[in-house]
Amino acid sequence: MTRELTVMMLTWEFPPRIIGGISPHVYHLSKSLAKNGVKVYVVTCDFPGAPQHEVVDGVEVFRIDSYKNPSPNFATWVYLMNVNMQKEAAALVNRLGVKVDIFHAHDWLVANAGIGLKHVFRKPLLATVHSTEIGRRNGLHFDYERMIHETEAWLTYEAWKVICCSNYMVSHVQWAFGLPEDKLVMVPNGVNIQEYTRNENADLRQFRRKFALPEEKLVLYVGRLVYEKGIHVFVNAVPKILGKVDAKFVVVGNGYMKEPLSNLVKSMGLAHKVMFTGFVDDKTLKNLQRCADVSVVPSLFEPFGIVALEAMAAKSPVVVSDTGGLAEIVEHDVNGVKVYPENPDSLAWGITKVLLDEKYANWIRTNAYKTVLEKYDWDKISQQTKDVYQAVLKEYSKSFWA
Amino acid sequence: MRVIILSWEFPPRIVGQLANYVKELAVQLVKKDVETHVVTYHDFLTGEYKEPEGVKTYRVKNPVRTHIGVLTWVLTLNQEVERAAANIYYKANKQINLIDAHDWHFIQAAVTLKKAFNVPFVYSVESLEEHRSHGTNYPFNMSIKSIEWLGLFEAKKVVVKSEWMRDEVVRIYKVPSDKIKVIAPKSRTWMKDILETYKNVAGGTA
Repeated sequence: MTRELTVMMLTWEFPPRIIGGISPHVYHLSKSLAKNGVKVYVVTCDFPGAPQHEVVDGVEVFRIDSYKNPSPNFATWVYLMNVNMQKEAAALVNRLGVKVDIFHAHDWLVANAGIGLKHVFRKPLLATVHSTEIGRRNGLHFDYERMIHETEAWLTYEAWKVICCSNYMVSHVQWAFGLPEDKLVMVPNGVNIQEYTRNENADLRQFRRKFALPEEKLVLYVGRLVYEKGIHVFVNAVPKILGKVDAKFVVVGNGYMKEPLSNLVKSMGLAHKVMFTGFVDDKTLKNLQRCADVSVVPSLFEPFGIVALEAMAAKSPVVVSDTGGLAEIVEHDVNGVKVYPENPDSLAWGITKVLLDEKYANWIRTNAYKTVLEKYDWDKISQQTKDVYQAVLKEYSKSFWA
Repeated sequence: MRVIILSWEFPPRIVGQLANYVKELAVQLVKKDVETHVVTYHDFLTGEYKEPEGVKTYRVKNPVRTHIGVLTWVLTLNQEVERAAANIYYKANKQINLIDAHDWHFIQAAVTLKKAFNVPFVYSVESLEEHRSHGTNYPFNMSIKSIEWLGLFEAKKVVVKSEWMRDEVVRIYKVPSDKIKVIAPKSRTWMKDILETYKNVAGGTA
């Protein structure tokens, strides 16, 4: 019998530390890989109350001191955190005496640690690029942004293969860093459908009443409140929708645009129609997604769009902007509605259409659920990832490092 | 004995007095039959080179070209230092007796290599952030101090060049004074003290 494949995942977030999409991604990927016979170590930043070492669903998780001294800015903190992550991971590999076959780094946030470990232990490095600085900022305007961009480029340079979660991201990353085409692999992001089907028959009427009146339709936005997510487009669409259908707009998430947006809503006289909940717990979020009459993803830049997939798994009809990974997940008039990005009129049209035509809404959400089952199941995705690992190891075995 | 010296300056790249000191140290070590590798930084004279005096140099450059200050510059240079040191390590059949890291710049590499390979390191203190920044304590300075602290904490031995510096290291970082060895560069026993310290740090492996 061949020895089982061992991979060490490096990620700056892992549950219960949840900042963005990387945390659930690495959690589900690691868990499914473990089920598929891969030994997975996760090295990640610490979190109040979470143990330094634990086994979660077959995955060994190690949490490192995430550097808590003051640092001049976010990027410098990232590099300093990597000092700790790298040394702890190196000690771990040494102490465990296990042969780690592959280091798998998620985004530039762990680039230094991943690259250092690759050279010190002479093992292949794999990188998943979830997002890019040039995409997030819509260009590079300051040295600070260029530095992050070049760190991302460095990670893709050092990586044996670069995994992206959508065809859009494959071409974007290839362009952004000038990579050869055969260095890139597309493995989609996934969603755990069981988490949404549990307690399917539970009565959500009481729960829904906390957010909307019974006669109001519930329109849901979930995401960070930042520019690239297009939340300002969503807010500008609100009055256009209210002219045609009575609805409550629930905005879940935090971000630097929260203050200005809630002020804008107040000045529009719509404070009673738009509710900013901030960050909510997992159970509340999933219930909201199940209650929503429509889930909206109005992003301007979206590498993948996991939140659309989650809504689809929760059987909520989705309206998304026709951009990035969203454009690949959603087929217009089949499993969702696509609207023009950065266009409140188009967005309002899409949302209104779903809210007023119940037959149409049922048609797209039924198809959406099927899409999730067929294409975005973690078990399949982890198998694809394992195939990438094995292909890399086969090439590696012929190198002088092996 | 086989030693890797880490220094951010080495001739022909001279920033302060550290470059020439490290050069003299490396040359004298070679004379005492110590196989001496120096991993250092240069922007275009990169790669491996055997100096006329027998010192083996390995110069690396920063893969990230745009930076917002010396701190981020140093923090992304360390992985290249690790790559060079690892290449030396594997080429030498994993037989490296110790690493001598000069100043704070490559402490990250020294610590990681120690953790990965169980190779002990000496931290040779040229200067401290406390004195360079005259007590300024912006997050920038505190970050550098935290790296100096890490080096002092993880090093097997700390080498300083004066008794004053030993007292400062004790005062600022609360390092036990018996962890610190004073070796004055111009003293007659300089090389003898260095070799003795190296042998102690390398233990039975030298």
